[in-house]
Amino acid sequence: MRIDNLNDMNRNYIFLTIVMLVLAAGTLFLTTSDEPKQIAPEELLQEIIQPSRYVTTDQVAKMIIQGDPSLLMVDVRPEGEFEEYALPGSVNVPLENLLDEENLSYFGVPGVKVVFVSNDDIRADQTWVLTKRLGYKGTYVLKGGINCWMQTIIDPLPPNEDAPKSEFEAYAFRRGAQIYFTGAATLAPDGENVQVQVRRREKTNVAAGGC
Amino acid sequence: MGPLIPNGIIGEGWDFVIAILLGIAFGFILEASGFSSSRNLAGVFYGYNFVVLRVFFTALIVAMVGLMYFDYVGWLDLSQIFILPTYLTPMIVGGVIMGFGFVIGGYCPGTSFTGIAIGKLDAIFFTVGLFVGIFLFSLTYPLFEGFFDSGYLGNVTLTELTGIPAPWFAFAFTFVALAAFWGTMLIEKRVRKNMKQYKF
Repeated sequence: MRIDNLNDMNRNYIFLTIVMLVLAAGTLFLTTSDEPKQIAPEELLQEIIQPSRYVTTDQVAKMIIQGDPSLLMVDVRPEGEFEEYALPGSVNVPLENLLDEENLSYFGVPGVKVVFVSNDDIRADQTWVLTKRLGYKGTYVLKGGINCWMQTIIDPLPPNEDAPKSEFEAYAFRRGAQIYFTGAATLAPDGENVQVQVRRREKTNVAAGGC
Repeated sequence: MGPLIPNGIIGEGWDFVIAILLGIAFGFILEASGFSSSRNLAGVFYGYNFVVLRVFFTALIVAMVGLMYFDYVGWLDLSQIFILPTYLTPMIVGGVIMGFGFVIGGYCPGTSFTGIAIGKLDAIFFTVGLFVGIFLFSLTYPLFEGFFDSGYLGNVTLTELTGIPAPWFAFAFTFVALAAFWGTMLIEKRVRKNMKQYKF
């Protein structure tokens, strides 16, 4: 009886061993597609018709001034234009070189908002669609691009006298930002060196009570 | 389709619920495999009981080969799976320490809890030691910090390091595991013959 059981057990083991070997060998014949991973067209369409990818020049200016470490501006214009003028702290990835491996490594970092910058928002939008197709999250487009940046931050126009209060507040902010980005050149001679402020939690003095 | 939570098929709040259910299932399997007995567990080092090797190797190769098929039929996107970052030397040293702890204490962390669940005194003793160890490590962490973060290789897989496609590794690993099953069965038989008595 005991020996019968052992034989049964051995037969089961032999059977399972063969099944496992066949299954494992089967994985060798699975063809993996070399196509890059991309999202479904329906999903891409949904993303494209939503305006949520746009960030305004005001938002970006505020983040630069505050030294927000989660902001990464990627300038997709050609190198020559980038050298002529660029937003402080932005990196240059010309659209032609977008798919280079070292450039792709900028995207998809958790907690980092990548904002694409171009002269208007067309090139940036094109870049954004490509990164979306590649499945990267956390990419945005600077609404209006450098042109809008010039109009709103570098050279803001005062609103009409009957404009709503929010516009005056925006104007006040833009004036401040203007000083920061242009007039403050003497204070911060190199625009690339935006100081990142590290906010630390204040230490509480545990032994302060004298007990 | 999968992974289910990152792709939004299951809401993010469910991950703890799923973790608890998986934990219960894991504990149940550990106990059902006899892993709450330190004699069973330590047997792998003395050659009289290789149940640890068999259970873990079985889980490993079934999951590994299964996931490759899941990936192939599109149920699970393996490229989205989290891969633990590799810190080479600290991991080797950690493995050696873990091995010593295992052979001396007769438990690994997970199994010590299943041991407690059925009231084993040695498991309770082991778990107290476990927490003391964690506490001491936390206190002395600044001393080890440099070493702890050394040898960082990123979230690499063997396929990325060597360029050999994953199925070859899977097949080789399965082969080694199955060979180990049969090999250890022979060792077990020979060692047990010389044992006067063996209780679980």
